[in-house]
Amino acid sequence: MEEYIGSIWHKLITRRATLDYPEAGVALTELSTELAVYFRALGGDPGKTVEIATVRKTPVYQRLVDRMAGNLGFTPSWQDERSLRLPATMAIFPVRELNERAYFWLTALAAQLPDIQHWSHENQQATRHLLQQRPGLAKYYQQLAEAYCDMRKDYYGSQINHSEQSLQQALLQPGSISHLPPDTNQLLPVMLWIYPSPLTALGSVTDDQLEDAPIAKQKSQQIHIGRKQTQRVDNEKETDGLMVFRLESLFSWTEQINVDRPEDEDVDDDAAAAADDLDIITLSRKRRASAGKIRFDMDLPALANDELPLGEGIRLAEWDFRKQAMRADYCLLQPMLADDARPSALPVELQNEVRKVKRGFAQLNPQSQWLNRQIQGDELDLNAWVQHVTQPQKDRDEPACYRSRQQQFRDLSCLLLADLSMSTDCGIDASTRVIDVIRDALLVFAEALSSTSDQLGVYGFSSVRNKQVRYHILKNFNEPYSDHVRGRILAIKPGFYTRMGSAIRQSVNVLRLQKTAQKLLLIISDGKPNDLDQYEGRYGIEDTRQAFLEAKREGIHPFCVTIDTDANTYLPYIFGDKGYCIVSDPTQLTRILPNLYLHLTRN
Amino acid sequence: MENITYLPQHNEITIFEHAASNHLPVLIKGPTGCGKTRFVQYMAEKLNRPLHTIACHDDLTASDLVGRHLIDANGTYWHDGPLTRAVREGGICYLDEVVEARKDTTVVLHPLSDHRRQLSLERTGEMLDAHPDFMLVLSYNPGYQNVIKGLKPSTRQRFVAMSFDYPTPEQEVVIVCQESGIDKQTATQLVSLANDLRRLNTHDLEEATSTRLLVYCAFLIKSGLEPRQACTACMAEPLTDDADTIRAIEHIIDNYF
Repeated sequence: MEEYIGSIWHKLITRRATLDYPEAGVALTELSTELAVYFRALGGDPGKTVEIATVRKTPVYQRLVDRMAGNLGFTPSWQDERSLRLPATMAIFPVRELNERAYFWLTALAAQLPDIQHWSHENQQATRHLLQQRPGLAKYYQQLAEAYCDMRKDYYGSQINHSEQSLQQALLQPGSISHLPPDTNQLLPVMLWIYPSPLTALGSVTDDQLEDAPIAKQKSQQIHIGRKQTQRVDNEKETDGLMVFRLESLFSWTEQINVDRPEDEDVDDDAAAAADDLDIITLSRKRRASAGKIRFDMDLPALANDELPLGEGIRLAEWDFRKQAMRADYCLLQPMLADDARPSALPVELQNEVRKVKRGFAQLNPQSQWLNRQIQGDELDLNAWVQHVTQPQKDRDEPACYRSRQQQFRDLSCLLLADLSMSTDCGIDASTRVIDVIRDALLVFAEALSSTSDQLGVYGFSSVRNKQVRYHILKNFNEPYSDHVRGRILAIKPGFYTRMGSAIRQSVNVLRLQKTAQKLLLIISDGKPNDLDQYEGRYGIEDTRQAFLEAKREGIHPFCVTIDTDANTYLPYIFGDKGYCIVSDPTQLTRILPNLYLHLTRN
Repeated sequence: MENITYLPQHNEITIFEHAASNHLPVLIKGPTGCGKTRFVQYMAEKLNRPLHTIACHDDLTASDLVGRHLIDANGTYWHDGPLTRAVREGGICYLDEVVEARKDTTVVLHPLSDHRRQLSLERTGEMLDAHPDFMLVLSYNPGYQNVIKGLKPSTRQRFVAMSFDYPTPEQEVVIVCQESGIDKQTATQLVSLANDLRRLNTHDLEEATSTRLLVYCAFLIKSGLEPRQACTACMAEPLTDDADTIRAIEHIIDNYF
């Protein structure tokens, strides 16, 4: 009985207390894709997504009835580096259209305010800026602001104070109030403005406090200095400890300094400054070795826990740039099959994406086309006939002068090669790793491409030195796309290193067996080629470049998609200007990969 | 003939004039509808040379360019193609969207685009030396990387090349006003709208709103169509088929009209 009365009371009081109009509410999920496009069009960072914001608890002005109902929070709209956060539902207005407009308004405002330091001032300025150039938007904003202020007036009734009045004026005539009273954050939150991200403290809503708020944005700075002359010295022969030289002949800055210093606090700055000061950078082998990073050789998994190795392995050559020659049979490539991966259906969360991509891929399906100069056909090919008649020497009795309608011939096989090295284990954000993005991209791509006539093979690779280049078969060309394939793709795990050259060579071998006219090798990567042995830096890059050139000689089009934003420094060398593309936002890989494929293979 | 107006973006007119006086072929790169064809028309008029335009498509063969035998009552005769005509009589031969043409077509152009300036007609056994006023101009849209299509480096290397892009907002307003006769206020709004949409280029739209579409839209508005309808018809529907993107673009249009 108590419970029953309690629940009735709760319903009653929350209904009295709520300001929302649930019947006119709009859910963010209905609009999120549109809002994302809108956000980008108005100048928002194209890498950001639109997400649901969570409730923040703040001390705000509350009526008795609110306090009784336990309404303590509100959902502000804000953004950070990753995404724009908007309330899950918008129901502040009694009319559905206004609520929808409110979402678009917040998105437009957020696109103008990537970073907030001076909350009320910047919101007003951004509003003014938006409205000045966009008369349509100005009209809608006026509607929104008036309706919103009416609502706030109703809420406060006779309790309305000076701060609230100035706030309403700031809403109705943006820019008219340069400084809001400090107690503004005690007022009802402003749903038409963008809030700073919650990393800045709760009280940050007021201007005064915000002014001292740290805006420090630590960006890892790369040191770019011109190339310096280098000189190697032999310090093996130096004596330890005993000073055998006179003090006045001590080396100055520009010469070698053989002192073990503790690291300075700000290593990067110091190194840059020192490098700028130096005329000659002295490299010594010994010091370099001691400064080298400690690297681990990752053990191969026990055979019982590993995937099924197929056969004895394949010996592949590798390019040694120092000798400018191939090292024959230098790498052992082991094809592997995850035979114990459980067959699986397509994960529900990807189904929507797959449907979209499939719609795009529909254009890949054969379309009928007129073929000229046929021996038989439905219509006369007049051009061919005239040419036949005008030819002084007839080489054939039966002229090929018909046209017939035929299915357009699309003759293409694509091998998708994914980098599964350990570096793909690192996180993009709290919940997603690179490998997850690669896995989803492979699934969506394979799923959608299986509905077309293009041939597809999906492979993954990683490596442990030259003794085992692991080449995972996820789907070979002859196998239909099935639950087994999906299971294998879902089971991919990051591990080991990136000997990209060998993986490309094996993919070329696989593609060579395909009988199609066009062959595309699509490589998904997350960084430079590297391995534990000399396969690092220049060696790995040169070998990968050779493998790329070999593929081109075979008539295969290699193309690399990378999520390494620094890839501009080495990929043009490996794959040429038109042979790669950098995906700056890894989470977009699922969308970009199919689009890229469409571009690359369009007729 | 009516005078063609063209608002230069950069130094393209000077480069083109120098190329023309030195008998060099020209390659123009740029996105759809940014004024490539208009520029060539303008230059043809300025240099007082006839213009032979060929819109390339994937069924365009070498004989479409060079010419073919035809029959009439008196028997067969040779009919010059547009390229041959330009080579004989002089004038600018403009191959629009040349990557769309079959690969074998571009080979015909090679001897014409280097110092030889010759066209060989295999069917008639003629070897034509180009008229001093003959000039070859190609254009294409480098917007996408395609395995199957693309201009071969050996072809590109034979041309003086220029890149075009959409004009700056101020220039674009002038162009839209001039072309359509619309008032400056509306033109400014249209251009700002187009620039909002161009931000979607890499993500949501395959290609950005072209100046040509802007002018179309201005025409529709000028002739009395309600601006929002005109914008949807010219700037949302032609750019995408995705329903969500179209709805989003409509909201962006609402910001202006």
